[in-house]
Amino acid sequence: MTFKACRLALAIALLGAAAPALAHNPMCQCEPIAGEQIKCTGGFSDGSGAPGVTLDVVGYNEEILVPGKLGEDSSLTFKRPEGEFYVLFDAGPGHVVEIDYADIGEP
Amino acid sequence: MSKAAAVPPSPLSRLWHKWRFHLNILLVLIPLGFMPKYFHDASLFRGDSGLGEHEIGEIAVGPWTLQLAELRDDAPRADGPAGHFKLFNAALCSTCINEVKAVYLRIGKPRSLRAAGVLFSGTPYRMSANLPIPTNTRSDAQIWITIEGWDGSMQQSAIPLAKASPATIAWLQQQGGK
Repeated sequence: MTFKACRLALAIALLGAAAPALAHNPMCQCEPIAGEQIKCTGGFSDGSGAPGVTLDVVGYNEEILVPGKLGEDSSLTFKRPEGEFYVLFDAGPGHVVEIDYADIGEP
Repeated sequence: MSKAAAVPPSPLSRLWHKWRFHLNILLVLIPLGFMPKYFHDASLFRGDSGLGEHEIGEIAVGPWTLQLAELRDDAPRADGPAGHFKLFNAALCSTCINEVKAVYLRIGKPRSLRAAGVLFSGTPYRMSANLPIPTNTRSDAQIWITIEGWDGSMQQSAIPLAKASPATIAWLQQQGGK
């Protein structure tokens, strides 16, 4: 009986272990930190990080203000530029996230 | 007659022996209840019932046209911290297949080709794109289709989100959108 129960539990556990198809949509969050700085963290919705992925800060006139790449911890800290800008997390064509400066807020 | 046979069966055992046949019939019948959904999904994914549940129709983008459809006529689906997403399918016109390099989809006018939105992937007869829907999207927003041609040209066209996905507009209103 115990053996049967164990077998049933194992079967249920194995069914639960079947990973559902995971999407890996890009995501990026930016937060203001002390000293007029902004820290942006990138990643993918399947939980993986994005070290080395391009993250540019682009002005409304399409001039790249801060060209950067995410560090080993999938984040990048930069000085808040003057004027209007947006942060572009660029993991390749079609895998971009834009964050407008108005959505970052003040510390 | 042995002594063991004289022991009366437990109530649980009697219940099982009385109803086990009916229980097994029930187990056969339960999957039948899921059949309509199964066949609906199967025909949706195979393309037998068109590009999607909600066909948006043919949209002209410069010299090219594409058919656009929502895969599911329902609210955007959550994908953890990445936000909510809506799956759109598209098919290029047969004459433009060789001329089109990439098709992008975005809410609002793209600032540049680099930030043109999500990329459609798949065969030109049935491409898919998972469009992020921010919860603060305005109900009068437009979705922009950007097509990049192999000749280097870029063409754009926009349609109201309300036309592309009425279910998304209803969902946005529930989110307290503007």
